[in-house]
Amino acid sequence: MTSRGTPSRFLRSVLQNGVGRYVCQLKRISIIFSKKAQSSLGIRDFIEEGVVDYAKKNPGTVVYVSPQSCRIPKIVAEYLNGNVREELVTNKTAPQISELLTKLTDQSGLDIIRIRKPFHTDNPSIQGQWHPFTNRPPTIGPIRPQKQDAP
Amino acid sequence: MSSFSRSAQQWATFARSWFVIDARMQPPGKIASMCSIRLQGKHKPIYHAISDCGDHVVVINTKEIAFSGNKWEQKVYSSHTGYPGGFKQVTAAQLHHKDPKAIMKLAVYGMLPKNLQRRTMMQRLHIFADDELPEDIQANLTEELPQPRKIPRKLSEYTQEEIDAFPRLWTPPQDYKMK
Repeated sequence: MTSRGTPSRFLRSVLQNGVGRYVCQLKRISIIFSKKAQSSLGIRDFIEEGVVDYAKKNPGTVVYVSPQSCRIPKIVAEYLNGNVREELVTNKTAPQISELLTKLTDQSGLDIIRIRKPFHTDNPSIQGQWHPFTNRPPTIGPIRPQKQDAP
Repeated sequence: MSSFSRSAQQWATFARSWFVIDARMQPPGKIASMCSIRLQGKHKPIYHAISDCGDHVVVINTKEIAFSGNKWEQKVYSSHTGYPGGFKQVTAAQLHHKDPKAIMKLAVYGMLPKNLQRRTMMQRLHIFADDELPEDIQANLTEELPQPRKIPRKLSEYTQEEIDAFPRLWTPPQDYKMK
């Protein structure tokens, strides 16, 4: 924690031990809504139109649709790192909910807090940002230590 | 490598590489300074002192490191056990005989910054006395670092033709008696 009192972190990824490939971090999503309440109108529309498409498009995510007698409909997103985010969708329309779901899917599940060194550019480089394989000659096959020459 | 997609590339930026370096016939200090830079992440353009962006380094063949000069006899490693009269001093040769990884480890440990991250960085240093690596470490390796010192060839490694072709300053006469 800094003297500013707000929690902060550096920009990072959720790789295990720093190695791995891109895996969608959203593991489970539960859509909780009421069958008759007025505030759940938009989410009922979304369930009719878009939820099957969403589930087909994201095979790595489990989608639960649970009708309950609740006044406030919500979307509960659980991430691979154990974080849970609850989003209230009272009086939201179907396109708004679809947009919200896309946002939740793309997130890494890390806490959304102040980021130190928030560098930003309006002109992203064509080459792409730096990564460990930038400017490194390509090699074929696994790297293994050089075999010692016979004396 | 343009095969990365946009989001995967952003992840790749923060990925940890695994470097391997062969310490065979190399000065421990030079190896340690290479290791220290990579353990801190100072070779990366995204480096920041507290962002914990260091890589893993695997050092192999530390059994066969080569000190220059008379360091094997004169370099002294001191420690204190904490008990009265517990001041221990061993030469580099004795320490190396006891544990072939110790000299390399102490050299890197001394070169890392003296802060709370030092132990974490040391955990990312993997030292092996010979060139046998476990499967899980072997699978992670991404790059082999070049050795800082060119290994000199021994006379026994030269072929007879090369020895004969070597220029001579002086050819001994037929009746010259070798001592």
